[in-house]
Amino acid sequence: MKSYKGNPVSKGVEIGKVYKYVPYHASVGEELIEEAQVADELQKYGDAKEKALHELNRLKESMGKSDQDKAAILGAHIEILKDPAMDQQIGKFIKKKMYNAKYAIDASYKMFIGMLEKVQDDLIRERIADMKDVRNRTLRCLDGEPEKNLSTLSEPVIVIAKDLLPSDTASLNRKMVLGIITEVGGATSHTAIIARSYEIPAILGVKNAMELFVDGEEVIIDAIAGNVLTQIEEEIRQDYDKKSRIFKEQALDTKKYLHVEPVTKDGERIYVNLNIGSTSEEELEHAVVSDGVGLFRSEFLYMGRDKLPDEEEQYKIYTKVLEAFAGKTVILRTMDIGGDKKLDCMELPVEENPFLGKRALRLSFAYPDIFLTQLKAALRAAVNGDLWIMFPMVESMDDIRRAKQYVEQAKKELSDACVPYGSVKIGIMVEIPSIAVIAEQAAKEVDFASIGTNDLTQYTLAVDRMNPELGDFYQKYHPAVLKLIRNVIEQFNKAGKHVGVCGELGGDELGSVILMGFGLRQLSMGYASVAQIKKIITNITIEDTKGIADNVCAMSTSAEIEAYVTGELKAKGL
Amino acid sequence: MTTKTAKIINKTGLHARPASDFVQAAGKFDAEITIKRVGDDEEANAKSIIFLLSLGLCQDEEVEISADGEDEAEAVDKLIELINSGFGE
Repeated sequence: MKSYKGNPVSKGVEIGKVYKYVPYHASVGEELIEEAQVADELQKYGDAKEKALHELNRLKESMGKSDQDKAAILGAHIEILKDPAMDQQIGKFIKKKMYNAKYAIDASYKMFIGMLEKVQDDLIRERIADMKDVRNRTLRCLDGEPEKNLSTLSEPVIVIAKDLLPSDTASLNRKMVLGIITEVGGATSHTAIIARSYEIPAILGVKNAMELFVDGEEVIIDAIAGNVLTQIEEEIRQDYDKKSRIFKEQALDTKKYLHVEPVTKDGERIYVNLNIGSTSEEELEHAVVSDGVGLFRSEFLYMGRDKLPDEEEQYKIYTKVLEAFAGKTVILRTMDIGGDKKLDCMELPVEENPFLGKRALRLSFAYPDIFLTQLKAALRAAVNGDLWIMFPMVESMDDIRRAKQYVEQAKKELSDACVPYGSVKIGIMVEIPSIAVIAEQAAKEVDFASIGTNDLTQYTLAVDRMNPELGDFYQKYHPAVLKLIRNVIEQFNKAGKHVGVCGELGGDELGSVILMGFGLRQLSMGYASVAQIKKIITNITIEDTKGIADNVCAMSTSAEIEAYVTGELKAKGL
Repeated sequence: MTTKTAKIINKTGLHARPASDFVQAAGKFDAEITIKRVGDDEEANAKSIIFLLSLGLCQDEEVEISADGEDEAEAVDKLIELINSGFGE
């Protein structure tokens, strides 16, 4: 047996065959042809289109009754492929502009995508993603490459990839993917978040994974310990079969807690909120198990598009979320762009140190028009529910005061235009250590704070959380970070202001206990953690958590704290 | 050339499934068919889903459908009827 280490980001144990995923990448250049080649290139396009159509028809037929949604999407793809206007345009590019088939296909799709991007509508935006898919399929057929993706797997496999893109995980067939192993990515990466929400065991940051494993070989993914095992002996196999079964039984038991009211054994109501990053039906349906949205990431509005979202579009989206979470609080975080999040619709400066650079609130200050548009949309939407506005990357009191001035300006602009708006609470995300240290002063200036533990940890420890080489240095229970967090919670509680945690620690089993012990009553997390955290809340007393938190404060290392709290929970049968 | 107008009554407008239904219906005719918003210059090939979507036609908007070809009258009538039916929504 051989064993390889990685970072377990979504728990579970599975045994299965390796499927190495290398997505098709179309390389298209501006290639021109001679008059004599026109017929050939038209033929090439025609053949590629035929082949793509054949693939789509076959896929659509293979969809069962339970996959009606996917079948409908494939139907839309067929429609795009067959679109006579697209056909004409590609033909025109080949015949009149002397583009080769590949370039003509690419240019036509780009042109039509540009046309649709001007339309302000969610449904149409989905169609743009469909068009990009059809473009890729056609180009791949032209290249004669076979189809490789995660939606059309025919048997259950453990997927191994260098990295997975949002488009890969979005289309992934949950029934056929037993586990995910990638070379890059940390606990807070997109792949990790998706894996947790799909309940697929995942280990990220496995070095050279693409070279270490062979297609079709059997491996064990132990995403509890963080090991990938190969060349498995029979004894070990049986052992892991049992582990896998036990894990699934426990997961099933935990699920029962999803809908319970989160009240501790000694009667303290804890508020369990959700972190959301889109307005997909799936995310909004989760409203029923939560007390509200603790973190609404507004970045998705700006990403993957050529034009900035206008006020009306944002107003509609914020209203949609408020309506889905009717009667509950929704905390909207203003755009947190920069750092690892890049935009197509805006040229951002290339920086030496993007995470310490012009990101989030700093970027909003640099582009007041974009900031004001977002604030006005939020203020208008606040008429339809309980909306709170939160600023990311606040470092000083000056930041807070300046941001509040923009809110006042947005209100004034709306008043002047006689546009109605609602009342909002104003708060900050605590993720820079400096503001955590002066929480006492900050609490006087704002209505609430939410602690972003991922960035707070990264900035306190000076550890890049995306760098897989530094996994061991990113200590999530580092005493210094816990000390900062405790200070923020205590100062805000003392001032009678709301305080919550929306980072990974809020949805972490051990973290949630420590946080409650510190006096926190508002936890915000991904949907995948809700059942587990509610299970802990309903099986513990505040007194217990206080005792645990006090002991934790006397400890000096992350490992010590982790071992101690794990032991305490185990003793309570959790 | 035959031209007629109708008002979109279904909730989602000419998006999603109604748009597909419309394009499919238009594709059955030989005539060249265009659709546009009443009072607007921008017109779209009614057989093209992409062009149709690019118009972003919503509920309560008035549209004008024109067809040119042998089966033009039948095409326009059929498509107007489809819009008036509300696409079963």
